[in-house]
Amino acid sequence: MPELIDIHVHHITRVEGHGNITIRATDGKVEQVEWQVPEAPRFFEAMVRGRRWEDIQTIVSRICGICSVAHSLAAVKAIEDAMDLVVSSQTEQLRMLALYGEFIESHVLHIGYLAAPDLLGVKSVLPLIASQPELVKVIMRLHRLGNSMMEVLAGRRTHPVCFCPGGFSHLPKPADLHTLRAQLTAALPDLQVLADAVYGVKEMLPDFERDTEYVALVDRGTYTFYHGNIGSSDTTNTVAVQKFKQVANEYVVPQSTAKWAKWHRESYMVGALARFHLNAEHLYPVSAELARYFGLTRTCFNPYMNTVVQLVETAHAVEHSLELIDVLLTSGITPERPHVIAKAGWGAGAVEAPRGILFHSYAFDDNGICTGANMTIPTNQNHANMQQDLEKLVPSIISKPEAEVRQLAEMLIRAYDPCISCSTHYLNVEFV
Amino acid sequence: MTVRPIVLIGLGNSLLGDEGIGVSLVQALSAEFAHHSDVECIDLGIAGMALLHILDGRRKVVLLDCALMGEQPGACRRFTPKDVRDISTSSRCSLHDGNLLDLLALAGEIGGLPPEVVIFGIQPESINASLTLSPTLQHKFDEYMTKVRNEVRRTMVSTAAANDDLSCEGSDNPMNRNDVTAQPC
Repeated sequence: MPELIDIHVHHITRVEGHGNITIRATDGKVEQVEWQVPEAPRFFEAMVRGRRWEDIQTIVSRICGICSVAHSLAAVKAIEDAMDLVVSSQTEQLRMLALYGEFIESHVLHIGYLAAPDLLGVKSVLPLIASQPELVKVIMRLHRLGNSMMEVLAGRRTHPVCFCPGGFSHLPKPADLHTLRAQLTAALPDLQVLADAVYGVKEMLPDFERDTEYVALVDRGTYTFYHGNIGSSDTTNTVAVQKFKQVANEYVVPQSTAKWAKWHRESYMVGALARFHLNAEHLYPVSAELARYFGLTRTCFNPYMNTVVQLVETAHAVEHSLELIDVLLTSGITPERPHVIAKAGWGAGAVEAPRGILFHSYAFDDNGICTGANMTIPTNQNHANMQQDLEKLVPSIISKPEAEVRQLAEMLIRAYDPCISCSTHYLNVEFV
Repeated sequence: MTVRPIVLIGLGNSLLGDEGIGVSLVQALSAEFAHHSDVECIDLGIAGMALLHILDGRRKVVLLDCALMGEQPGACRRFTPKDVRDISTSSRCSLHDGNLLDLLALAGEIGGLPPEVVIFGIQPESINASLTLSPTLQHKFDEYMTKVRNEVRRTMVSTAAANDDLSCEGSDNPMNRNDVTAQPC
């Protein structure tokens, strides 16, 4: 009797949205390995066509519940590019602070609620409340900090309302920044507690490597999330954000309703590992020390380590936020009102979202009406890389018990922190 | 800042037609309750996990959400988490967009769940890409507003009564009843 392994992970858990993994093997010979995304397309690009330039941010902020600052900022940067708007350094500092809030919230969510159960051998975060109550409290405090930063900087816990092309519609008060400063300072010891907890189970992260191309924003002298051009581990040349389509080269495959992407190779990876590879020397002191603590080097090609790099980036976000707040409090918040004269044009904007580089572009007519839009999201850029990783991983583990093969494959996908649907929420219930 | 005892939370994605009914309702009601010191209205959109940081210290939470309940499009039902079970085929442990029932269970485990949790579920007609509600839900919008408004107001009445030490226990006044479960509204 041939030994058959037939794994169908329908709707992998602890990721956002719907993705499936299919693995078939007979007598140790792998016959099929597929990462599939079956979700219906959302048509957000079509929804903004015909809308005025000042309405775009409000609409795209609703695409995702955890990347809403990133979507909003990519949009306002693209609109500013299209209309030749220049923003103040104060605006950029405040936007970066809001983006850091989103990174802290999203990374802590992934590390604490989604990845930690894998490392601690439980099915969800719920059992941890009884077994590790102090750790759960730390995770909740850090998660709440991210929410608080977005509330102060973006005007809401999510779906920002304060960002607009040219600047801000509402500015934070100095007292709010002082409060945030105290919360951020208190977060550093909490981060060490979280780091120690992850370090204690780091042997649960599989020892798997596959050389790949890393793609992220790069900017001179900074570990950038907001400024710069598109960089790659495969070339020393950088590409202007306006040429992002030459990087993503999106294409369709039969197994997925989501687009895939490739640049110099068959696939590339975006996200924390990619940013770390391209910008690690610019980490702030505490985050650099955390990277050393985990033995991370720029040549790490283990996708499971993406979660650890998210922890490092969370520390960087806290450290840089403290510096930005000090600058803002020292210089004082200057009242500014954006003044925009709409005009025809095309522009592109990019920011790093928690799960990787995000591109938006828009075209406008003379009246500032949107005539075309493109949103190239990070998870779509990672799909091909996830497939390539699975194709290398599965033959190397196929002799293990089926449940373990399944677990390692699921952990691999979760390590990318994919955000697939970015939209639906509704309850589906029956009365009891 | 003092936490207001009653919180009214709208959930959903307003880019997907009726999926955003909770958000539309809370936006419409927020002006009405803006000056009530007992009530806070929050448009939480699809940031489910943020819910965990909103509930602590409240007396009551009223959640407004699109819900597949096997009802006719436009039907509105008031229920509590104990009245229903999740039958979604999606990733039930996903906490990114936050399965509401899982999140409420998590809040209960960490001790942040208010004593009273009420959900108003509205059966959608269409959850396709659209910035507007379906005609059916638009037609019933005022009816939903009235139901939610009454829910909040009767809680405010009972809160005020409790504060004044004027217990209404045993009263037949339906405005003081908070024990209704799973009734069509």
